[in-house]
Amino acid sequence: MHIKKNAVTMVEILRTMVAILCSLLMVFAIILLVSDQPFSALKDFLIGPLTSVRRMGNVIEAMTPLIFTGLSVTMLYRAGLFNLSMEGAFFMGAVAATAGALLFDLPPIINLIVAMSLGTVAGGIVTLIPGVLKVKCHANELVTSLMLNYVCLYLGLYIITEFFYDPQMNSNYSFLFADSMVLPKLFSKTRINTGTIIAFAAVGIVWLILNKTSFGYKVTLVGKNDTMAKYSGIDAGAVIIGSQLLGGMLAGLGGCVELFGMYQRFQYQGLPGYGWDGVLIAIVARYQAKYIPLAALFLAYLRIGADIMSRNTDIPFEIVKIIQAIMIVLISAQAILSRYRQKLVVKEAKELEEMGGKVNG
Amino acid sequence: MDNMLDVILSTDFFFTAIRVMTPILFAALACMVFTKGGIDSIGTEGIMLMCALAGPLGSYATKSAFGGVVIAMLIGAALACLFGYVTISLKSEPVLAGIALNTLASGLTIFVIYYATGEKGSTQSLASPTVPNIEIPLLNEIPLLGQVFSGHSVLTYLGLLIMILLGFFIYKTPAGLRIRSVGENPQAAKSVGISVIKYKYMALIMAGALCGLGGAYMSMSYVSFFSKEMIAGRGFIGMAAESMGRGTPWGVTLSALLFGAADSLAIRLQLLQLPAQLIQTIPYVITIAAIAIYSYSRSKQKR
Repeated sequence: MHIKKNAVTMVEILRTMVAILCSLLMVFAIILLVSDQPFSALKDFLIGPLTSVRRMGNVIEAMTPLIFTGLSVTMLYRAGLFNLSMEGAFFMGAVAATAGALLFDLPPIINLIVAMSLGTVAGGIVTLIPGVLKVKCHANELVTSLMLNYVCLYLGLYIITEFFYDPQMNSNYSFLFADSMVLPKLFSKTRINTGTIIAFAAVGIVWLILNKTSFGYKVTLVGKNDTMAKYSGIDAGAVIIGSQLLGGMLAGLGGCVELFGMYQRFQYQGLPGYGWDGVLIAIVARYQAKYIPLAALFLAYLRIGADIMSRNTDIPFEIVKIIQAIMIVLISAQAILSRYRQKLVVKEAKELEEMGGKVNG
Repeated sequence: MDNMLDVILSTDFFFTAIRVMTPILFAALACMVFTKGGIDSIGTEGIMLMCALAGPLGSYATKSAFGGVVIAMLIGAALACLFGYVTISLKSEPVLAGIALNTLASGLTIFVIYYATGEKGSTQSLASPTVPNIEIPLLNEIPLLGQVFSGHSVLTYLGLLIMILLGFFIYKTPAGLRIRSVGENPQAAKSVGISVIKYKYMALIMAGALCGLGGAYMSMSYVSFFSKEMIAGRGFIGMAAESMGRGTPWGVTLSALLFGAADSLAIRLQLLQLPAQLIQTIPYVITIAAIAIYSYSRSKQKR
């Protein structure tokens, strides 16, 4: 049994690697075709992020919110739902955290904890809605969650402009947070903060929940085959609702960490898009919590590289989105390498049969 | 309160509602065709965005608005076929492929305008012909009705015409029936000798062309240039309108009109210093509630 699982996993990893390589090669080809200075562009893109401490710091800073939304998508999707409201959950997490930071006047660290708890709960409530509607009404979670994102956007902007708007600012920014609300920096010369530590702690917790608790096992089972889960006596509805709540809480916490780690006031004017990035992170990590940081680091590295490249050369930053799109399609394409996978599975089945034959004989 | 009613019950309000409804109508009709053919419609957003760029570039190149609209439709159909290839032949998970398409659109459009115009935000610097508005003879002389229904873009009237034709095509012609059968039960369709691939691609091409019209409307009629992310969720709203309209042409149109009316209301209420952002949530909340109630009643019936 052990061999079989490994070989199929190997094919999956191989497909992910091939997909990443292909998408990078395609983008290199685009750069070579359109750029006037292709080699300096490629150099900036590939090794630019390593050329200074500040830039390496930027990579880690960019990785942090991606870890949260990657974990969020992993949690939401493990139960088999395409709940895309992690985008709204991240945003509402930041809005609720702003409210918590500006409304209360508690002792420093307690206020920070209260504000972040508020944001986490707000995120959970957001993703809970499509989950509950799915379980109780059989409503398609894809459409309800997409609509919910817009409710979050406008409701969030309303809350900020109506109650926390700083009239001294030209845009709809909130009042400045107290200094005690900023997550402490870890290294000088960078903006890396304790938020990154919280992100890794979240990875550990999600890994524990998914791999070491009966709840995590049930979530995976319901996601893979909910009829079978029902017959084995699992309350699929409760499991789905629980997983959706947890997924949203992760995204909401991500919103708080990004807000208090990188900003001094609420500045978003639209949905920031980290939720959608989370989809790519989760599929590159193959919905495994332990690979999420690596996938997030990879995307963050590409982002910072593209940012440096766009400032020095004629290649726009948006090339990263093209890479992301190609990667999502290729990794999720079941037909690629399917023959190879088939061969491996057949080979193993034969080996198992021979082994079984020996035992029986 | 009187003041508020004055603002709402004006011909301007209804005129704007129809204007704002048009791109959502195209998106919703595209989603309807996708769904009838059993194809996931989440990529509508991205296809529309790329078509919104293809329109002005095409009309600039061909020096005619008609040329621009046709090119937008062709690009839309081609992108829909690409989505079909990826999901049918490469067997990608459709929702993920749709998300990929949307991501690609938001990156590629900026990439293309940067190389076409040297700017990163819009195609304002290109003098591209736009689709004209038309006054309907006789109708425009009737007071009130004329002010509401006359003077819209050619594409708005085309959209309403397509809606009626599409209803006829899908429900009354053999090809329409086959598309529905392929969407509802591909195995059964195959067993009676219907080519699943052929009718899937027929639905893809039609839906893609509809996305093209919706995109072209945004950048050649609603405003006269492409600006980045200008579809701003209208493709997703189209999905919701399709779902709320239960997949029938009239239901879909009425749902699209609801969004148009709510958006128009938000625009008008800003004049009265009311919180527009709160008003803007209304159509989305109504959609979520409507889909929940509809799904609930249907699941009860099944039992």
